[in-house]
Amino acid sequence: MTLGLPGHLARDSLSRSLVHAGHCAAWVCLGVTAVVGASSGAVDGDPVGWLRAIIAVGLALLLGLVARYPTVTLTLLYLAAGSAAILGLAMVVMEAGSRFENTNNLVLALPMTALLLVGGAGSGSAIAITWAAFGYALGEAAAFLGSTLVGSEWAPNAAAATALTLVVLIRALDGISRRSDQRRKTGLHRASQQTRELAIRHDYELRATARLHDTALSHLVAIAAAGSGPVDERLRIGIRQDLGLIVGRDWAVDHTPLEVGRGRHDRPLALGGRRAAGIDGRMPDPAGSAAAVGAGARTFEAAYTAAANAGLRLRVTGDESALAALGPTRAEALDAAVAQCLVNVARHAGVDEAELAVGLGGGEVTVAVMDSGAGFDEREVPEDRIGLRTSIRARIENEGGAVRLWSTKGIGTTIVLTVPEGGE
Amino acid sequence: MNRMRLTQQEADPIGGIAAAPIVTMGAVVAMALSLALTISHWHEVVSPVAAVTALALVGAAGIIAAVAAAPSRAPFTTERLWLVVTLAVGAAIAEYVSTVGNDRIVYDDFGPIVIGALILVLAPFCTWRSLLLAGVLASVVLSVLVIGSPNTVEPSAPLPALVAVNCAAVLSMSAAAAGYSYAIIDETLAWQRQANRAALHHDAELRAGIARSVQQSRVSVLGREVLPFLAGVMTADRISVTDADRARELAEALRRALKAGLESTWLDDLAANLQLARDIDVVVDDAMGLAAELGDDQRAALSALVSWLAEGDRAVEIRVGISSDGIARRIAVAAVAGASPPSRRDLDRFAAVARAVAMRADVAITRENVAVEFSHVPG
Repeated sequence: MTLGLPGHLARDSLSRSLVHAGHCAAWVCLGVTAVVGASSGAVDGDPVGWLRAIIAVGLALLLGLVARYPTVTLTLLYLAAGSAAILGLAMVVMEAGSRFENTNNLVLALPMTALLLVGGAGSGSAIAITWAAFGYALGEAAAFLGSTLVGSEWAPNAAAATALTLVVLIRALDGISRRSDQRRKTGLHRASQQTRELAIRHDYELRATARLHDTALSHLVAIAAAGSGPVDERLRIGIRQDLGLIVGRDWAVDHTPLEVGRGRHDRPLALGGRRAAGIDGRMPDPAGSAAAVGAGARTFEAAYTAAANAGLRLRVTGDESALAALGPTRAEALDAAVAQCLVNVARHAGVDEAELAVGLGGGEVTVAVMDSGAGFDEREVPEDRIGLRTSIRARIENEGGAVRLWSTKGIGTTIVLTVPEGGE
Repeated sequence: MNRMRLTQQEADPIGGIAAAPIVTMGAVVAMALSLALTISHWHEVVSPVAAVTALALVGAAGIIAAVAAAPSRAPFTTERLWLVVTLAVGAAIAEYVSTVGNDRIVYDDFGPIVIGALILVLAPFCTWRSLLLAGVLASVVLSVLVIGSPNTVEPSAPLPALVAVNCAAVLSMSAAAAGYSYAIIDETLAWQRQANRAALHHDAELRAGIARSVQQSRVSVLGREVLPFLAGVMTADRISVTDADRARELAEALRRALKAGLESTWLDDLAANLQLARDIDVVVDDAMGLAAELGDDQRAALSALVSWLAEGDRAVEIRVGISSDGIARRIAVAAVAGASPPSRRDLDRFAAVARAVAMRADVAITRENVAVEFSHVPG
């Protein structure tokens, strides 16, 4: 991403950069002052020249400290030391017989400019202009005092005044341009975030559609091609095998069984936190399941217990960790409803095995309980049979969920329980 | 990104646009100073032609700097910096010639100040290295003038001191320019690293929670329809004609969804979102899905423009067409102006941003229509 500074950072970042620019210029001014002093000391044998060079270097180091730690104390210390240096320099360069007519000369302009470029503590154009003006005033005052003490003429230093004017103009323009708030109006950062989100969502949709397409299309085409007539057993088995993939699935997530290939789900699988117990007569182990889905995850303890008590073999497919997306009460209600479904299978279906498909997707947790038993017609269920209506439907609907049931006598029953994520 | 090769204009395009008036201001200050100083030391002038030439060169350097830094001519190239500095150095030489042998003090020479000021105001458009190099090379030329000026009547001073003093203005302002350029790039890159980390984190969170946020998406709705239908068929005794028709419908819907997903890009989704949120027509014509080829920054620049046009009654209809001539990609954004049509200045801001992300940009605006055209060659 190269789309620049956001509005809320621009003020401080630009301010710091302008202060840094001023410091760089000030260091050059002090460096030139040191060179001029050292030249005077080396070429003319003037010991004061060396002293000027040393003072200039000292000021440059002090400015380094201000740059590193921009506190009010250090800023004032630098201004005080700089004023003293200008005072001394003015006394030296403006003494009797000086080559300069007044204090409007380049030798004094350099440290005076360095003084007003202090930057100083704080951020923003107004504070920066205040510090610069303060530095300029102190420099001029020191030059005035120094020249007065040696009895020479004082004149405002034009170079320092020009430097101050430039600082004020640049700072003022910076403040004005930021006030127009172009960064917020352009909305680059918002657009950048939005396009990333759009791309991710688009990718999700595409992958999800492709997977749903791969999983369900063949069945739909087979049904469409079959026309009216009995359901082909191979088709029924195929749908049953794939229903675990379709139930409440997060379609964008790679589901390994899909890549493994359809029709292999009767093998025991334990893949990446998803668990499927094979039709091997063994009960799923709640403890093992809990370990598999991670700490704090929930399992169908009541359902497993009910199945075990009823002597029902259970095959679990899908993503059992989906239960972790539910609040404890909702998970408990779902568990109890599934347990009641399994009790019904054991009591009425006339089979000793059932399937459980679990999934999370579309903001819902879905569980399908399937058997190939006797089947029934819900309308024919007597009123006194409260299991389906109360223990299953009421429980789930209380949690904002839904129960759908398909059953055909002699073929089997599928109950799909769906509850929204979250809950108490 | 390398901070040695980056300019503020590239790293922070809006900052570059905001800095453009400072260049004009610097050019005006340079011209005013050179005029004032020429008048103040006119008695030293021995060649009025050279003095006038110096002023003309300052004017030319200032005008070129201001024009070259205008957002409509972004990006500012290094060649433009060298042209401006060469003209300014030419002005300094002409000024030297105008007072040769009669220059009482170098303090009131405008050459170094003009060079320094122009380098300083161009800081947002150049790398810190080129700014420093320009300042050092200009100082070398000025030093040669001082060293080769035996007839100067400057109060006697050691030559190193004289050279240092004469170059002080150029060197200090070039150092300021380089310091600014370095610091703002440093600040911008630091923010961008932070922003990129946050964006990656946000992307990861978005991917993790996307199922929840797209409950009403096509695939979720479709999935919810397919599941009960297949479950119903699985437990049914017979397949009815209605079932077969329904299966055909669902299969067709699945195919259509997959085809639409494959053919569309993030730009179609953006248009759909804007159309829904702003209630204006946003039409995308990108049959080849070329929007997917755009880089992140280019997408952001285009997205920012389209979103901005869709807001605040600026447009009643927006059309985005992307085409290819085999090499270059052309993105044409055309809008029918709304009750508060955009100004050219506003659009220039987006054009400058586009230029900062390696796209050519042209803006055409009439009372009824707005047309912005981007073009780029995929890397």
